[in-house]
Amino acid sequence: MTSSSAPSRKALSKIACNRLQKELVEWQVSPPAGFKHKITDNLQRWIIEFVGASGTLYAEETYQLQVDFPEHYPMEAPQVVFIPPAPLHPHIYSNGHICLDILYDSWSPAMTVSSICISILSMLSSSTEKQRPADNDRYIKNCRNGRSPKETRWWFHDDKV
Amino acid sequence: MANQAEVSPRKRKAVEDELEMEASSVAAMTTMNMNQPAAEESEPILSNPSDGAGTSGSAEIWPGEYEWSCCFRDDEIMQQQSAIREEAAKVPYVGDKDPLSALEAEFESGDPILKEKIRLLGEQYAALRRTRGDGNCFFRSFMFAYLEHILVTKDADEVERITRKVIQCRLTLQSLGYTEFTYEDFFNIFMEQLESVMTSMSIEELLSRSRDQCISDYVVMFFRFVTSGEIRKRAEFFEPFIAGLTNTSVDQFCKSSVEPMGEECDHVHIIAMTDALGVSIRVVYLDRSSCDKGELAVNHHDFIPTAASSVGSSSSSSASGNITEPFITLLYRPGHYDILYRR
Repeated sequence: MTSSSAPSRKALSKIACNRLQKELVEWQVSPPAGFKHKITDNLQRWIIEFVGASGTLYAEETYQLQVDFPEHYPMEAPQVVFIPPAPLHPHIYSNGHICLDILYDSWSPAMTVSSICISILSMLSSSTEKQRPADNDRYIKNCRNGRSPKETRWWFHDDKV
Repeated sequence: MANQAEVSPRKRKAVEDELEMEASSVAAMTTMNMNQPAAEESEPILSNPSDGAGTSGSAEIWPGEYEWSCCFRDDEIMQQQSAIREEAAKVPYVGDKDPLSALEAEFESGDPILKEKIRLLGEQYAALRRTRGDGNCFFRSFMFAYLEHILVTKDADEVERITRKVIQCRLTLQSLGYTEFTYEDFFNIFMEQLESVMTSMSIEELLSRSRDQCISDYVVMFFRFVTSGEIRKRAEFFEPFIAGLTNTSVDQFCKSSVEPMGEECDHVHIIAMTDALGVSIRVVYLDRSSCDKGELAVNHHDFIPTAASSVGSSSSSSASGNITEPFITLLYRPGHYDILYRR
């Protein structure tokens, strides 16, 4: 089960492939605490499992992220979604789409998969209530034909959660 | 002042949201990463200074680039910005060299002050080369102007000098805690271009590479890394400028206004980049300003890197006389940079 249709995407460029291989090696040496990359032979799609940080609303809950890399990674951001069931969070939609600026407009090649993971964990950890975004149903309806979250025009306004 | 930045899609956010944003919690965390990369919960070495936080928010549904109906409260701005983006995409990253009269034609029916300034400009400058207004125009203009200068002059001393600077920039990023693989490709591509213009590259080839996204954007990103590294390294120096500009921390500024592609340049970026690379830039301002004393003049400002040391006061055109004139001249019109060529 994946939360978004696998977009028919172009293969990684050579430079993207090299970069990702380096990221993977680095990850294997030193993954972000609490995160596990599930080994597959697909460099272009990573499945990452993690456990909510202790002392937070998501403690001991296990979630999976699906990270798809575009042809021109890292110039373009990877597509990152939760594989449902996604955590109940005011900025995470039930289809797994995440409203977090660094995944879209504020992405920079200075970031890495690892830094995304840390951001997502931090976003979860600072949450004070387990609930869906207010516009969840409307959004999900709009995404029914398998739209990528990268096509959404996100509105970032909240730096607290 | 050059801070009326280009309208980029992100600017809306920056203006309407991030100014309001209380960045301290975010900053606290990332600063921690920066200073003690391995301290917190066996924080992986993968974390660049800008890592580990972001701004989240609610999704507003924006179904595809061309459907506007669902948009809310800022739909007019969005529409306008999308139009600007589409318009921008029609211009190549780096355009052909046009005679200055092309600029005149642009303002033919325009403001008399501008027309007069363009005439004055024509006394000193023969041509201009436009760049795409995609938020990267300062870096892109600099990239082309610099590489073209090397291509034409084959100035080996300058290449040797900047190569040393680039090595320093690398070390800066390293010491700031950036993971090498995040920046090395960008550094390598810049150095490749530098070597090529020094040896065999033709001007046509340079132009074609500058229009090739895979090369051009990598070089732009190289400059963004260099700029960010310099700002972070001299955070104390830049902090008041940044606070005045955006009311955010140095870290947040680098993360949101320097490192992402498409974020336009302000004086802070230019000072940092010229200092980091030790290259002077003259920026000629084409705007409606005039002084009352009658005679109209086209103002310019020279960004002169601070002497060898990277700490100290910023550059100024009033700096002492033994500094040579910048060999790079950019034309600034509110929101945009192009390249100017002297007579």
